[in-house]
Parts: sequence; C-alpha cells; structure tokens
Amino acid sequence: MKILVVDDFSTMRRIIKNLLRDLGFNNTSEADDGLTALPMLKTGKFDLLVTDWNMPGMQGIDLLKAVRADPDEKLNKIPVLMVTAEQKKEQIVEAAQAGVNGYIVKPFTALILKEKLEKIFARIG
Amino acid sequence: MMEEKELITDDNIARVRDLLACMEKGNEEDAIEIIDELTSIRETELYQDMGKLTRELHDAISNFGIDDSINIMAEQSIPDARERLNYVISKTDEAANKTLEAVEESIPICNDLNDKALILHATWQKFTNRELSADQFRQLSKDVNDFFVNAYEISKVKDHLTAVLLAQEYQDLTGQIIKKVINLVSEVEDKLIGLIKLTGAPQIAVAKKDNKSSLDGPPVPGLAHADTVSGQDEVDDLLSSLGF
Repeated sequence: MKILVVDDFSTMRRIIKNLLRDLGFNNTSEADDGLTALPMLKTGKFDLLVTDWNMPGMQGIDLLKAVRADPDEKLNKIPVLMVTAEQKKEQIVEAAQAGVNGYIVKPFTALILKEKLEKIFARIG
Repeated sequence: MMEEKELITDDNIARVRDLLACMEKGNEEDAIEIIDELTSIRETELYQDMGKLTRELHDAISNFGIDDSINIMAEQSIPDARERLNYVISKTDEAANKTLEAVEESIPICNDLNDKALILHATWQKFTNRELSADQFRQLSKDVNDFFVNAYEISKVKDHLTAVLLAQEYQDLTGQIIKKVINLVSEVEDKLIGLIKLTGAPQIAVAKKDNKSSLDGPPVPGLAHADTVSGQDEVDDLLSSLGF
C-alpha cells in the first residue's frame, strides 16, 4: 500500500505521514501541490491519494478531477481522501461529484483519519 | 486648459487688428468694447473647462462612492481580520499548551523508567558477579517484574507524542488565516492608493494583484460563514445525504 500525501504545508504532511505510520502504512510519499503530485501519480506506483484542497499551483479539487479524467484505468480509480479546512457545503458537494472517496475537515483527529481510511478500504474490498 | 487653436482664430486675429486700429485712432470707446468682447470669449471657455473639470471630479467621487468595497472593508473585513488574528493567537496558544502538557507528562515517565533501569542494571551486575544473597535475589526478581509493569507506561509517552504531533496542525491553519489577512491588507493598500490618486497627488505605480482564491479557508469561530458545515459530523451527514 503506497500512499501519496499532498499538502502545501510541510507540517501537515508530517502529521498525516506520522498518523499513517501509526496505522501501519509505512510507504508514503509527499508532494506540495497538484502540479508536483500529478506526474508522481502517473507513474502508477500509488494506491491511495490523500490531498489538501487549497494549494498554490494546482488545487486539490483540480488534482482530483485530473486523476478521475485520466485514461489510465488504475489511476482514474485510485481512492482519494480529501483533508482540508474548506467547510463550504457547495465545496463538499463539488468534491463528492468529482468522485472523492472521503472528506476530512481540519482540524481532525487520528481516530477520524483511521475511520475514513477503514471506510475507503472496506468499499474497495 | 485652453488650447492655443481656440484662442488664435481668424475671428480673434481680426478683433485684435480692429483693437489696434481703434487704439491708434484714439477711439477709446470702440477699443474697450473689443477688449470686453475678447474677455468674454476667454471667460466662456474658462467656464466650459471648469464645468468639465467639475463634472469629472463629481463622477470620480460618485464612482468611488458606488464602489462600496471601502465600506465593506471598514465595517466588515477589518473587524473580521482582527477576529482572524485573535484566532491565530488562540490556536498557537492552544497548540503550545497541548505540546507542553504532553511533554510535561512524558518527562516524569521517562525519568522514572530511566532511574529504575539504572538501579536494576547495577543490581543485575552484582547478581552476575554472584554478590547477591538469596533474599537480595528475591528482591531483584520482584524489582524486575515491577520494572516490566512500569515499562508499559511507555505507551502513555507514545500517546503524548501523537498529541504533540497533532498539535502542530496550528501551523497550517494559522498560516492560511494570516495569508488571508495579508491579502486584505493589500486590498486596503490598493484602495488608499486610489484615494491618493483621486485627490490629485502624484501618480504611484500600482502593482496589479489578482485575487484568484475564492476559497474560504479554515472557518473562524465568531465569524459568520454562509452555507458551511461545522465539523466532521456535519460533513459526514452531508456526504451520506448524497449517497456516500
């Protein structure tokens, strides 16, 4: 299970990486926005994408849309967990319509991350 | 403001020639009449220019009034910014306290285990050197068992470390809030430059800034947010209503 964590704040990437390690996911990589994340994802090495929304360059929602629109069958089906401070209803709906698999609002707890990941994995089997 | 061409017209040249002729002839009455005529032409043009300037000034002031972003800034954005910055202070304060609390609870556990390990190690060396009596050995055996029980305290330290880790999220949240306040400050600066221009002060080169982000960023307690959820539970409810 290889996970890509995308957030423009390195502290938040560290928090998420550490929490993931605590949950037994040791194989993680980082990117600081959609533009750097997309080429990494296109290598086909990742099984889960955890991304922030508000980032310079390419935002998380655009990364999600780009991933879902990718011709690669594996990449366009990759589970995407959004971890963001954005709490507008229309944004949550937009993310859902774009095909997000989970939506966590900051600040969050280790337990919420665990629950959302379990839910995602339960669905993809 | 008067263009040269408006003054030096054939008509005016003819009037001046007449004026000179009248003066040379000593015809004062006619000369005064021509001078009055020329003055009134000049005054008419002056009034027209003044009228135009007044209208421009009026329009500029009206347009400035129509653009109510200044009012919004004064009445809403700046008080909001104050609230946001206060929230930054409380978030950083909270994070520092959480971190300190976790550290302060962890240090005694580490110290206690460290001390006990040193004592046990010393006793254990006596044991390997066959310097312990049977009673002392029984005590050592009991101490070793107590030490193992104590060692489980390490899991508390791990929990504290996770709490420290999570407390660092303030940096992301406060960073986003501060960026928003910086954007507001830039907007206020732009408006001030506009005001300076309106008052006719020398032009200042204005660097155009695009406000590309329409995202709200982290919600701030005490500030009204239209159509937002508050917390993970409401996000989950919204998503499940969408069939998630």
